[in-house]
Amino acid sequence: MNENLFTPFSTPTILNQPATIPIILFPAMLVLTSKHPINNRLATIQQNLTQLILKQMMMTHNAKGQTWSLMLMSLITFIAMTNLLGLLPYSFTPTTQLSMNLAMAIPLWTGTVMVGFRFKTKNSLAHLLPQGTPTPLIPMLVVIETVSLLIQPVALAVRLTANITAGHLLMHLIGNAALALSTTNFSLTLLTSTLLALLTVLEIAVALIQAYVFTLLVSLYLHNNT
Amino acid sequence: MPQLDTSTWFTTIMTMLPTLYLITQLKLLNTNHYQPPPTKNSNLQSHGIRWQPKWTKTCLPLSQPQQS
Repeated sequence: MNENLFTPFSTPTILNQPATIPIILFPAMLVLTSKHPINNRLATIQQNLTQLILKQMMMTHNAKGQTWSLMLMSLITFIAMTNLLGLLPYSFTPTTQLSMNLAMAIPLWTGTVMVGFRFKTKNSLAHLLPQGTPTPLIPMLVVIETVSLLIQPVALAVRLTANITAGHLLMHLIGNAALALSTTNFSLTLLTSTLLALLTVLEIAVALIQAYVFTLLVSLYLHNNT
Repeated sequence: MPQLDTSTWFTTIMTMLPTLYLITQLKLLNTNHYQPPPTKNSNLQSHGIRWQPKWTKTCLPLSQPQQS
């Protein structure tokens, strides 16, 4: 039972070759680039969405933070497309792999910390101590703030992995249960409606991408500005 | 849990790095965002031209009574 449940999350192989390579590369192919001033509907929708997201995300940053806009835009595009494509049945979602999320989170978080240390050393170090703490508590609070800083990349990676994995697992379970109960027609309607509702709620996987990028943004913003 | 099987970690990470940092960024860079064409401001004409009375005679000959 355990083996059956987790097999969608093992990296797929075709004839013993890793199939993860084309699977990870595929969502990037769906971003349309065209040189025409007036495009077809799909390209226009994509362009408008990109511009909307770019403006929303980069408004709060100063000039120095806005140099990160290409990185953050490609991050949110990549994660959004990957998660949405993973909602299709029998598909493999690369963001369920802890390896990939760790490899995304750790370098990006380290980059923001490095930017803060290099350009505003005193300010970024001052973040380790909130204002107005009584003097005897200072050593303990510095330790606590350092730990909460160091746990940020791990939290980013594990949050994404766990949320997507849990959602996929739930859909598998409910689908299997609905199938098993289809012989008795009574519970089938209840379970399939639950599954459908869960699917639409799971399209708040897109909201999870927002969460990912926004938490990254928050740390970048704090390190840059204040 | 198959996600903790580290034998595939290298492949996954190595594929993700060029996808994220190279391909997606190049694709986003190659989308041209054209500005909408600027509309020509046609309000200046009505502000600049004032009707001169000598034009009324020339432009509206039928409004003048026939002097014959």
